[in-house]
Amino acid sequence: MSEFTKIDLDARALEHPKPLEQAIRALRELNDENYLYMLHRKNPIPFIDLASEQGFQTLSREDETGNWHILVAKNPSVTLEELLRV
Amino acid sequence: MFNQNGLSLDQAPPISVVFRFFFSGALFGILAGILILIFGTSIFDAHTTQAVILTHTLTLGVMLSFMFAALFQMLPVIAGVKLTSPVQKANWLQYPFTIGVITLLLAFQTSLSWLYGLASLFLGGSIFYIVAVMLKNLFELVHHSASSKGMVIALLALAVVVILALYMTATLSGTINGTYFSQMKEGHYSFGLFGWITLLIISISFQVIEMFYVTPSYPKVVSYYLPTVLFSLLVVTFIVGLFIPATWIITDILLAILLSSYALLTLKRLTQKKRPLSDATVWFWRIGLTSLIVSMFLMIITLFTTISLLQTASYLFFTFFALSIVFAMFYKIIPFLTWFHLNSQGYFTAPMMHEVIHPKTANKHLYIHLATLVTFLLSTFLTPFIYFAGLLTILSFGWMSYQIIHAWKLYRHTQETGEKFEMKIAEG
Repeated sequence: MSEFTKIDLDARALEHPKPLEQAIRALRELNDENYLYMLHRKNPIPFIDLASEQGFQTLSREDETGNWHILVAKNPSVTLEELLRV
Repeated sequence: MFNQNGLSLDQAPPISVVFRFFFSGALFGILAGILILIFGTSIFDAHTTQAVILTHTLTLGVMLSFMFAALFQMLPVIAGVKLTSPVQKANWLQYPFTIGVITLLLAFQTSLSWLYGLASLFLGGSIFYIVAVMLKNLFELVHHSASSKGMVIALLALAVVVILALYMTATLSGTINGTYFSQMKEGHYSFGLFGWITLLIISISFQVIEMFYVTPSYPKVVSYYLPTVLFSLLVVTFIVGLFIPATWIITDILLAILLSSYALLTLKRLTQKKRPLSDATVWFWRIGLTSLIVSMFLMIITLFTTISLLQTASYLFFTFFALSIVFAMFYKIIPFLTWFHLNSQGYFTAPMMHEVIHPKTANKHLYIHLATLVTFLLSTFLTPFIYFAGLLTILSFGWMSYQIIHAWKLYRHTQETGEKFEMKIAEG
Protein backbone atom coordinates (compact mmCIF):
# COMPACT_ATOMS: atom_id res chain seq x y z
CA MET A 1 0.00 0.00 0.00
CA SER A 2 1.42 3.38 -1.00
CA GLU A 3 1.98 6.02 1.64
CA PHE A 4 0.93 8.63 -0.89
CA THR A 5 -2.65 9.63 -1.57
CA LYS A 6 -3.87 9.09 -5.10
CA ILE A 7 -5.87 11.77 -6.91
CA ASP A 8 -7.85 9.87 -9.52
CA LEU A 9 -8.81 11.43 -12.82
CA ASP A 10 -10.51 9.30 -15.42
CA ALA A 11 -10.63 11.52 -18.49
CA ARG A 12 -11.43 8.83 -21.01
CA ALA A 13 -15.03 9.88 -21.58
CA LEU A 14 -14.40 13.62 -21.42
CA GLU A 15 -14.50 15.79 -24.54
CA HIS A 16 -11.46 17.89 -25.33
CA PRO A 17 -10.38 20.16 -23.67
CA LYS A 18 -12.04 18.99 -20.42
CA PRO A 19 -9.25 16.47 -19.66
CA LEU A 20 -6.66 19.25 -19.83
CA GLU A 21 -8.85 21.59 -17.80
CA GLN A 22 -9.32 19.03 -15.03
CA ALA A 23 -5.71 17.86 -15.11
CA ILE A 24 -4.41 21.41 -14.63
CA ARG A 25 -6.85 21.87 -11.75
CA ALA A 26 -5.56 18.64 -10.19
CA LEU A 27 -1.96 19.80 -10.68
CA ARG A 28 -2.64 22.69 -8.36
CA GLU A 29 -3.82 20.31 -5.64
CA LEU A 30 -0.60 18.34 -5.64
CA ASN A 31 1.60 18.46 -2.55
CA ASP A 32 4.28 16.22 -1.02
CA GLU A 33 1.73 13.66 0.17
CA ASN A 34 -0.22 12.94 -2.97
CA TYR A 35 0.09 12.23 -6.68
CA LEU A 36 -2.16 12.40 -9.74
CA TYR A 37 -3.21 9.24 -11.56
CA MET A 38 -4.92 10.09 -14.82
CA LEU A 39 -6.46 7.77 -17.38
CA HIS A 40 -6.78 9.12 -20.90
CA ARG A 41 -7.53 7.96 -24.45
CA LYS A 42 -4.43 9.79 -25.68
CA ASN A 43 -1.01 10.73 -24.42
CA PRO A 44 -1.68 14.34 -23.30
CA ILE A 45 1.66 15.78 -24.41
CA PRO A 46 0.80 19.46 -23.69
CA PHE A 47 -0.16 18.58 -20.13
CA ILE A 48 2.91 16.44 -19.54
CA ASP A 49 5.15 19.17 -20.94
CA LEU A 50 3.48 21.75 -18.76
CA ALA A 51 3.85 19.60 -15.64
CA SER A 52 7.49 18.77 -16.44
CA GLU A 53 8.30 22.43 -17.00
CA GLN A 54 6.93 23.23 -13.57
CA GLY A 55 9.24 20.71 -11.95
CA PHE A 56 6.78 17.87 -11.40
CA GLN A 57 7.89 14.37 -12.20
CA THR A 58 5.73 12.66 -14.79
CA LEU A 59 5.22 9.24 -16.27
CA SER A 60 2.95 8.21 -19.13
CA ARG A 61 2.47 4.69 -20.35
CA GLU A 62 0.06 3.08 -22.80
CA ASP A 63 -1.55 -0.23 -21.86
CA GLU A 64 -2.51 -3.02 -24.24
CA THR A 65 -6.08 -1.69 -24.55
CA GLY A 66 -4.82 1.63 -25.88
CA ASN A 67 -5.53 3.62 -22.71
CA TRP A 68 -2.87 5.95 -21.35
CA HIS A 69 -1.87 6.00 -17.70
CA ILE A 70 -0.43 9.36 -16.69
CA LEU A 71 1.15 9.82 -13.28
CA VAL A 72 2.30 13.16 -11.88
CA ALA A 73 3.89 13.86 -8.52
CA LYS A 74 5.34 16.92 -6.87
CA ASN A 75 7.40 15.02 -4.31
CA PRO A 76 10.68 13.88 -5.94
CA SER A 77 10.88 10.88 -3.61
CA VAL A 78 7.74 9.33 -5.13
CA THR A 79 8.62 6.46 -7.48
CA LEU A 80 5.99 6.69 -10.17
CA GLU A 81 6.96 3.35 -11.75
CA GLU A 82 5.96 1.60 -8.53
CA LEU A 83 2.58 3.32 -8.46
CA LEU A 84 1.77 2.40 -12.04
CA ARG A 85 -1.06 -0.14 -12.38
CA VAL A 86 -0.71 -1.52 -15.88
CA MET B 1 4.78 29.75 -10.70
CA PHE B 2 3.89 28.95 -14.26
CA ASN B 3 6.28 30.33 -16.83
CA GLN B 4 5.62 33.85 -18.06
CA ASN B 5 5.98 32.63 -21.59
CA GLY B 6 3.17 30.17 -21.24
CA LEU B 7 3.27 26.55 -22.22
CA SER B 8 6.69 26.43 -23.82
CA LEU B 9 6.50 28.40 -27.03
CA ASP B 10 7.91 25.44 -28.88
CA GLN B 11 4.69 23.60 -28.08
CA ALA B 12 2.00 26.20 -28.50
CA PRO B 13 2.39 29.26 -30.75
CA PRO B 14 1.76 32.69 -29.22
CA ILE B 15 -1.93 33.37 -29.13
CA SER B 16 -1.53 36.42 -31.38
CA VAL B 17 -0.26 34.29 -34.27
CA VAL B 18 -3.44 32.25 -34.43
CA PHE B 19 -5.75 35.16 -33.61
CA ARG B 20 -4.47 37.41 -36.35
CA PHE B 21 -4.83 34.83 -39.11
CA PHE B 22 -8.40 34.19 -37.99
CA PHE B 23 -8.97 37.95 -37.88
CA SER B 24 -7.62 38.62 -41.37
CA GLY B 25 -9.68 35.67 -42.65
CA ALA B 26 -12.80 37.19 -41.08
CA LEU B 27 -12.02 40.60 -42.63
CA PHE B 28 -11.68 38.98 -46.05
CA GLY B 29 -15.04 37.34 -45.32
CA ILE B 30 -16.58 40.77 -44.75
CA LEU B 31 -14.99 41.88 -48.03
CA ALA B 32 -16.58 38.83 -49.71
CA GLY B 33 -19.97 39.95 -48.38
CA ILE B 34 -19.43 43.46 -49.74
CA LEU B 35 -18.40 42.03 -53.13
CA ILE B 36 -21.58 39.92 -53.21
CA LEU B 37 -23.62 43.10 -52.67
CA ILE B 38 -21.75 44.81 -55.51
CA PHE B 39 -21.62 41.90 -57.98
CA GLY B 40 -25.11 40.48 -57.39
CA THR B 41 -26.01 37.18 -59.05
CA SER B 42 -23.25 37.51 -61.67
CA ILE B 43 -21.13 35.57 -59.17
CA PHE B 44 -23.12 32.46 -60.05
CA ASP B 45 -21.66 32.32 -63.56
CA ALA B 46 -18.22 30.76 -63.10
CA HIS B 47 -16.94 32.41 -66.30
CA THR B 48 -17.40 35.99 -65.11
CA THR B 49 -14.60 38.10 -63.65
CA GLN B 50 -16.87 38.73 -60.67
CA ALA B 51 -17.08 35.01 -59.92
CA VAL B 52 -13.30 34.67 -60.19
CA ILE B 53 -12.74 37.62 -57.84
CA LEU B 54 -15.21 36.32 -55.25
CA THR B 55 -13.86 32.77 -55.48
CA HIS B 56 -10.33 33.99 -54.75
CA THR B 57 -11.51 36.26 -51.94
CA LEU B 58 -13.08 33.20 -50.34
CA THR B 59 -10.47 30.55 -51.11
CA LEU B 60 -7.34 32.66 -50.66
CA GLY B 61 -8.39 35.47 -48.35
CA VAL B 62 -10.79 33.56 -46.13
CA MET B 63 -9.98 29.85 -46.32
CA LEU B 64 -6.22 30.06 -46.60
CA SER B 65 -6.01 32.56 -43.72
CA PHE B 66 -8.16 30.31 -41.54
CA MET B 67 -6.17 27.27 -42.54
CA PHE B 68 -2.88 28.99 -41.75
CA ALA B 69 -4.34 29.81 -38.32
CA ALA B 70 -5.34 26.17 -37.87
CA LEU B 71 -1.95 24.89 -39.05
CA PHE B 72 0.04 27.16 -36.74
CA GLN B 73 -2.15 25.92 -33.89
CA MET B 74 -2.51 22.29 -34.89
CA LEU B 75 1.01 21.41 -36.01
CA PRO B 76 2.39 21.31 -32.46
CA VAL B 77 -0.71 19.68 -30.98
CA ILE B 78 -1.57 17.13 -33.64
CA ALA B 79 1.75 16.46 -35.30
CA GLY B 80 4.18 17.36 -32.51
CA VAL B 81 5.94 19.76 -34.89
CA LYS B 82 7.77 22.55 -33.15
CA LEU B 83 7.92 25.68 -35.30
CA THR B 84 10.70 27.92 -34.05
CA SER B 85 10.20 31.72 -34.07
CA PRO B 86 6.49 31.43 -34.91
CA VAL B 87 5.89 35.20 -34.70
CA GLN B 88 8.64 35.89 -37.21
CA LYS B 89 7.34 33.18 -39.52
CA ALA B 90 3.80 34.52 -39.22
CA ASN B 91 5.07 38.00 -40.15
CA TRP B 92 6.95 36.70 -43.18
CA LEU B 93 3.79 34.96 -44.28
CA GLN B 94 0.94 37.25 -43.39
CA TYR B 95 1.98 40.66 -44.71
CA PRO B 96 3.13 39.61 -48.20
CA PHE B 97 0.23 37.16 -48.38
CA THR B 98 -2.36 39.83 -47.60
CA ILE B 99 -0.78 42.27 -50.09
CA GLY B 100 -0.68 39.42 -52.62
CA VAL B 101 -4.38 38.57 -52.25
CA ILE B 102 -5.45 42.20 -52.67
CA THR B 103 -3.12 42.64 -55.63
CA LEU B 104 -4.48 39.52 -57.30
CA LEU B 105 -8.08 40.66 -56.86
CA LEU B 106 -7.14 44.00 -58.42
CA ALA B 107 -5.33 42.17 -61.22
CA PHE B 108 -8.48 40.19 -62.03
CA GLN B 109 -10.50 43.41 -62.07
CA THR B 110 -8.09 45.48 -64.18
CA SER B 111 -6.21 42.80 -66.19
CA LEU B 112 -3.01 44.83 -65.71
CA SER B 113 -0.09 42.52 -66.37
CA TRP B 114 2.21 44.12 -63.77
CA LEU B 115 -0.41 43.48 -61.08
CA TYR B 116 -0.43 39.79 -62.01
CA GLY B 117 3.36 39.80 -61.71
CA LEU B 118 3.26 41.52 -58.34
CA ALA B 119 0.56 39.17 -57.03
CA SER B 120 2.56 36.14 -58.19
CA LEU B 121 5.62 37.43 -56.39
CA PHE B 122 3.88 38.14 -53.09
CA LEU B 123 1.57 35.11 -53.05
CA GLY B 124 4.04 32.64 -54.53
CA GLY B 125 6.83 33.81 -52.24
CA SER B 126 4.83 33.83 -49.01
CA ILE B 127 2.97 30.56 -49.58
CA PHE B 128 6.04 28.67 -50.81
CA TYR B 129 7.97 29.98 -47.83
CA ILE B 130 5.51 28.66 -45.23
CA VAL B 131 4.86 25.41 -47.13
CA ALA B 132 8.62 24.77 -47.19
CA VAL B 133 8.97 25.56 -43.46
CA MET B 134 6.05 23.35 -42.46
CA LEU B 135 7.03 20.48 -44.76
CA LYS B 136 10.64 20.58 -43.57
CA ASN B 137 9.46 20.22 -39.98
CA LEU B 138 6.97 17.50 -40.87
CA PHE B 139 9.58 15.54 -42.83
CA GLU B 140 11.80 15.52 -39.76
CA LEU B 141 9.13 13.67 -37.75
CA VAL B 142 10.14 10.12 -36.89
CA HIS B 143 6.65 8.84 -36.13
CA HIS B 144 3.81 10.02 -38.31
CA SER B 145 0.17 9.89 -37.30
CA ALA B 146 -2.58 9.67 -39.91
CA SER B 147 -3.18 13.39 -39.34
CA SER B 148 0.44 14.49 -39.74
CA LYS B 149 0.80 12.37 -42.86
CA GLY B 150 -2.37 13.92 -44.26
CA MET B 151 -1.02 17.39 -43.49
CA VAL B 152 2.11 16.63 -45.51
CA ILE B 153 0.01 15.58 -48.49
CA ALA B 154 -2.30 18.61 -48.16
CA LEU B 155 0.70 20.96 -48.07
CA LEU B 156 2.17 19.26 -51.16
CA ALA B 157 -1.16 19.82 -52.87
CA LEU B 158 -1.03 23.50 -51.87
CA ALA B 159 2.40 23.77 -53.48
CA VAL B 160 0.97 22.27 -56.69
CA VAL B 161 -1.96 24.74 -56.55
CA VAL B 162 0.49 27.66 -56.39
CA ILE B 163 2.71 26.32 -59.19
CA LEU B 164 -0.32 25.96 -61.46
CA ALA B 165 -1.56 29.40 -60.40
CA LEU B 166 1.80 30.90 -61.35
CA TYR B 167 1.50 29.35 -64.81
CA MET B 168 -1.94 30.93 -65.15
CA THR B 169 -0.93 34.39 -63.92
CA ALA B 170 2.09 34.26 -66.23
CA THR B 171 -0.31 33.51 -69.09
CA LEU B 172 -2.79 36.21 -68.09
CA SER B 173 -0.01 38.78 -67.83
CA GLY B 174 1.24 37.82 -71.30
CA THR B 175 4.61 36.52 -70.08
CA ILE B 176 4.04 33.07 -71.60
CA ASN B 177 1.63 31.90 -74.29
CA GLY B 178 -0.17 29.41 -72.02
CA THR B 179 -0.64 26.44 -74.36
CA TYR B 180 -1.92 24.29 -71.51
CA PHE B 181 -3.98 27.01 -69.81
CA SER B 182 -7.26 25.07 -69.61
CA GLN B 183 -5.53 21.93 -68.29
CA MET B 184 -3.66 23.99 -65.69
CA LYS B 185 -6.90 25.67 -64.68
CA GLU B 186 -8.61 22.30 -64.23
CA GLY B 187 -5.66 21.09 -62.15
CA HIS B 188 -5.52 24.37 -60.21
CA TYR B 189 -9.03 24.17 -58.85
CA SER B 190 -9.06 20.39 -58.49
CA PHE B 191 -5.88 20.41 -56.40
CA GLY B 192 -7.12 23.51 -54.57
CA LEU B 193 -10.58 22.27 -53.64
CA PHE B 194 -9.88 18.55 -53.19
CA GLY B 195 -6.12 18.26 -52.65
CA TRP B 196 -5.70 21.21 -50.33
CA ILE B 197 -8.95 22.33 -48.63
CA THR B 198 -10.70 18.96 -48.42
CA LEU B 199 -7.57 16.94 -47.66
CA LEU B 200 -6.54 19.27 -44.85
CA ILE B 201 -10.02 19.13 -43.31
CA ILE B 202 -10.06 15.33 -43.64
CA SER B 203 -6.58 14.97 -42.11
CA ILE B 204 -7.37 17.18 -39.14
CA SER B 205 -10.72 15.43 -38.64
CA PHE B 206 -8.99 12.08 -38.10
CA GLN B 207 -7.70 13.50 -34.86
CA VAL B 208 -10.19 16.15 -33.77
CA ILE B 209 -13.46 14.25 -34.26
CA GLU B 210 -12.27 11.56 -31.88
CA MET B 211 -10.60 14.02 -29.50
CA PHE B 212 -13.25 16.77 -29.39
CA TYR B 213 -16.35 14.60 -29.40
CA VAL B 214 -15.16 11.28 -27.89
CA THR B 215 -16.15 9.06 -30.77
CA PRO B 216 -14.67 5.75 -31.93
CA SER B 217 -11.59 6.39 -34.05
CA TYR B 218 -11.66 6.16 -37.84
CA PRO B 219 -10.84 2.76 -39.35
CA LYS B 220 -7.09 2.66 -40.03
CA VAL B 221 -7.66 1.84 -43.69
CA VAL B 222 -9.46 5.20 -44.04
CA SER B 223 -7.18 7.40 -41.95
CA TYR B 224 -3.95 6.00 -43.38
CA TYR B 225 -4.85 5.59 -47.03
CA LEU B 226 -7.60 8.06 -47.95
CA PRO B 227 -5.32 11.15 -48.21
CA THR B 228 -2.76 9.22 -50.29
CA VAL B 229 -5.43 7.79 -52.58
CA LEU B 230 -7.03 11.21 -53.11
CA PHE B 231 -3.72 12.89 -53.87
CA SER B 232 -2.52 10.10 -56.17
CA LEU B 233 -5.80 10.24 -58.01
CA LEU B 234 -5.35 13.96 -58.60
CA VAL B 235 -1.71 13.63 -59.71
CA VAL B 236 -2.39 10.77 -62.15
CA THR B 237 -5.45 12.49 -63.60
CA PHE B 238 -3.62 15.77 -63.95
CA ILE B 239 -0.82 14.14 -65.96
CA VAL B 240 -3.12 11.98 -68.09
CA GLY B 241 -5.53 14.92 -68.42
CA LEU B 242 -2.87 16.95 -70.22
CA PHE B 243 -3.41 14.63 -73.18
CA ILE B 244 -6.91 13.22 -72.50
CA PRO B 245 -8.96 15.91 -70.71
CA ALA B 246 -12.00 13.61 -70.44
CA THR B 247 -10.14 11.63 -67.75
CA TRP B 248 -11.31 14.21 -65.22
CA ILE B 249 -14.87 12.91 -65.58
CA ILE B 250 -13.90 9.52 -64.15
CA THR B 251 -11.82 11.14 -61.43
CA ASP B 252 -14.65 13.50 -60.45
CA ILE B 253 -16.95 10.51 -60.01
CA LEU B 254 -14.36 8.67 -57.92
CA LEU B 255 -13.69 11.77 -55.84
CA ALA B 256 -17.42 12.24 -55.25
CA ILE B 257 -17.77 8.62 -54.08
CA LEU B 258 -14.72 8.77 -51.81
CA LEU B 259 -15.56 12.13 -50.26
CA SER B 260 -19.23 11.28 -49.76
CA SER B 261 -18.22 8.01 -48.08
CA TYR B 262 -15.85 9.93 -45.80
CA ALA B 263 -18.61 12.43 -44.95
CA LEU B 264 -21.10 9.65 -44.20
CA LEU B 265 -18.57 7.87 -42.02
CA THR B 266 -17.85 11.07 -40.09
CA LEU B 267 -21.56 11.78 -39.65
CA LYS B 268 -21.92 8.25 -38.29
CA ARG B 269 -19.02 8.85 -35.91
CA LEU B 270 -20.78 11.95 -34.62
CA THR B 271 -23.83 9.84 -33.79
CA GLN B 272 -21.53 7.56 -31.75
CA LYS B 273 -20.18 10.28 -29.47
CA LYS B 274 -20.43 9.57 -25.78
CA ARG B 275 -22.03 12.86 -24.77
CA PRO B 276 -25.67 12.89 -25.91
CA LEU B 277 -26.00 16.68 -26.25
CA SER B 278 -24.68 18.50 -29.30
CA ASP B 279 -23.25 22.01 -29.19
CA ALA B 280 -23.01 24.43 -32.12
CA THR B 281 -19.64 23.02 -33.22
CA VAL B 282 -21.15 19.56 -33.75
CA TRP B 283 -23.90 21.11 -35.83
CA PHE B 284 -21.36 23.06 -37.87
CA TRP B 285 -19.65 19.72 -38.60
CA ARG B 286 -22.98 18.13 -39.52
CA ILE B 287 -23.93 21.01 -41.84
CA GLY B 288 -20.47 20.93 -43.40
CA LEU B 289 -20.44 17.20 -44.03
CA THR B 290 -24.00 17.17 -45.36
CA SER B 291 -23.09 20.07 -47.66
CA LEU B 292 -20.13 18.06 -48.94
CA ILE B 293 -22.38 15.11 -49.77
CA VAL B 294 -24.91 17.34 -51.57
CA SER B 295 -22.12 19.14 -53.42
CA MET B 296 -20.58 15.88 -54.61
CA PHE B 297 -23.97 14.50 -55.65
CA LEU B 298 -24.67 17.63 -57.69
CA MET B 299 -21.17 17.51 -59.17
CA ILE B 300 -21.83 14.04 -60.57
CA ILE B 301 -25.15 15.15 -62.06
CA THR B 302 -23.55 18.17 -63.72
CA LEU B 303 -21.07 15.88 -65.47
CA PHE B 304 -23.96 14.60 -67.55
CA THR B 305 -26.21 17.66 -67.82
CA THR B 306 -25.76 21.32 -68.65
CA ILE B 307 -28.07 22.80 -66.04
CA SER B 308 -26.06 25.75 -64.72
CA LEU B 309 -28.28 26.03 -61.65
CA LEU B 310 -27.09 22.64 -60.41
CA GLN B 311 -23.47 23.61 -60.96
CA THR B 312 -24.01 26.81 -58.98
CA ALA B 313 -25.65 24.82 -56.18
CA SER B 314 -22.73 22.37 -56.19
CA TYR B 315 -20.24 25.25 -55.73
CA LEU B 316 -22.44 26.81 -53.06
CA PHE B 317 -22.66 23.63 -51.03
CA PHE B 318 -18.92 23.05 -51.36
CA THR B 319 -18.28 26.56 -50.02
CA PHE B 320 -20.60 25.88 -47.10
CA PHE B 321 -18.85 22.57 -46.46
CA ALA B 322 -15.49 24.29 -46.03
CA LEU B 323 -16.81 27.30 -44.12
CA SER B 324 -18.92 25.23 -41.73
CA ILE B 325 -15.93 23.13 -40.69
CA VAL B 326 -13.81 26.26 -40.26
CA PHE B 327 -16.48 27.78 -38.01
CA ALA B 328 -16.64 24.53 -36.00
CA MET B 329 -12.88 24.69 -35.45
CA PHE B 330 -12.98 28.41 -34.70
CA TYR B 331 -15.42 27.98 -31.79
CA LYS B 332 -13.18 25.29 -30.33
CA ILE B 333 -9.82 26.98 -30.88
CA ILE B 334 -10.42 30.60 -29.79
CA PRO B 335 -11.88 29.89 -26.29
CA PHE B 336 -9.38 27.09 -25.74
CA LEU B 337 -6.34 29.16 -26.66
CA THR B 338 -7.46 32.10 -24.53
CA TRP B 339 -8.05 29.88 -21.51
CA PHE B 340 -4.99 27.71 -22.10
CA HIS B 341 -2.46 30.51 -22.56
CA LEU B 342 -3.73 32.38 -19.51
CA ASN B 343 -3.67 29.19 -17.44
CA SER B 344 -0.21 28.27 -18.55
CA GLN B 345 0.88 31.77 -17.54
CA GLY B 346 -0.57 31.08 -14.10
CA TYR B 347 -3.59 33.41 -14.02
CA PHE B 348 -6.10 31.73 -11.76
CA THR B 349 -8.58 34.51 -12.55
CA ALA B 350 -8.50 33.45 -16.21
CA PRO B 351 -11.96 33.28 -17.76
CA MET B 352 -13.35 29.82 -18.31
CA MET B 353 -13.78 28.73 -21.90
CA HIS B 354 -17.53 29.35 -21.92
CA GLU B 355 -16.86 32.87 -20.67
CA VAL B 356 -14.59 33.63 -23.62
CA ILE B 357 -17.24 32.64 -26.17
CA HIS B 358 -20.52 31.49 -24.66
CA PRO B 359 -22.13 28.44 -26.32
CA LYS B 360 -25.22 30.57 -26.98
CA THR B 361 -23.04 32.98 -28.99
CA ALA B 362 -21.85 30.10 -31.17
CA ASN B 363 -25.49 29.00 -31.54
CA LYS B 364 -26.45 32.43 -32.85
CA HIS B 365 -23.70 32.19 -35.46
CA LEU B 366 -25.03 28.77 -36.42
CA TYR B 367 -28.45 30.32 -37.19
CA ILE B 368 -26.84 33.17 -39.13
CA HIS B 369 -24.83 30.61 -41.11
CA LEU B 370 -27.91 28.54 -41.90
CA ALA B 371 -29.85 31.63 -42.91
CA THR B 372 -26.95 32.60 -45.21
CA LEU B 373 -27.09 29.20 -46.92
CA VAL B 374 -30.86 29.41 -47.39
CA THR B 375 -30.75 32.95 -48.81
CA PHE B 376 -27.98 31.97 -51.22
CA LEU B 377 -30.05 29.05 -52.47
CA LEU B 378 -33.14 31.24 -52.76
CA SER B 379 -31.17 33.83 -54.71
CA THR B 380 -30.50 31.31 -57.46
CA PHE B 381 -34.27 31.48 -58.17
CA LEU B 382 -35.17 34.94 -56.88
CA THR B 383 -32.39 37.41 -57.67
CA PRO B 384 -33.09 40.02 -54.93
CA PHE B 385 -32.28 37.44 -52.24
CA ILE B 386 -28.62 37.83 -53.19
CA TYR B 387 -28.58 41.11 -51.25
CA PHE B 388 -29.81 39.34 -48.13
CA ALA B 389 -27.14 36.69 -48.74
CA GLY B 390 -24.49 39.42 -49.01
CA LEU B 391 -25.67 41.14 -45.84
CA LEU B 392 -25.79 37.85 -43.94
CA THR B 393 -22.26 37.03 -45.14
CA ILE B 394 -21.09 40.36 -43.71
CA LEU B 395 -22.98 39.65 -40.48
CA SER B 396 -21.51 36.12 -40.25
CA PHE B 397 -17.89 37.24 -40.60
CA GLY B 398 -18.54 40.42 -38.62
CA TRP B 399 -19.82 38.19 -35.82
CA MET B 400 -16.61 36.21 -36.00
CA SER B 401 -14.44 39.34 -35.98
CA TYR B 402 -16.24 40.57 -32.88
CA GLN B 403 -15.60 37.26 -31.09
CA ILE B 404 -11.89 37.50 -31.86
CA ILE B 405 -11.70 41.11 -30.61
CA HIS B 406 -13.71 40.16 -27.51
CA ALA B 407 -11.46 37.16 -26.72
CA TRP B 408 -8.31 39.23 -27.30
CA LYS B 409 -9.58 42.00 -24.98
CA LEU B 410 -10.40 39.42 -22.29
CA TYR B 411 -6.93 37.94 -22.68
CA ARG B 412 -5.19 41.30 -22.37
CA HIS B 413 -7.46 42.38 -19.50
CA THR B 414 -6.63 39.23 -17.53
CA GLN B 415 -2.93 39.74 -18.17
CA GLU B 416 -3.13 43.33 -16.94
CA THR B 417 -5.34 42.81 -13.90
CA GLY B 418 -5.27 39.07 -13.16
CA GLU B 419 -3.69 37.45 -10.14
CA LYS B 420 -1.19 34.69 -10.59
CA PHE B 421 -1.25 31.26 -9.09
CA GLU B 422 1.84 30.26 -7.14
CA MET B 423 2.83 26.66 -7.80
CA LYS B 424 5.40 26.75 -5.00
CA ILE B 425 7.57 24.22 -6.73
CA ALA B 426 11.17 24.16 -5.61
CA GLU B 427 13.40 25.90 -8.15
CA GLY B 428 15.82 23.80 -10.10
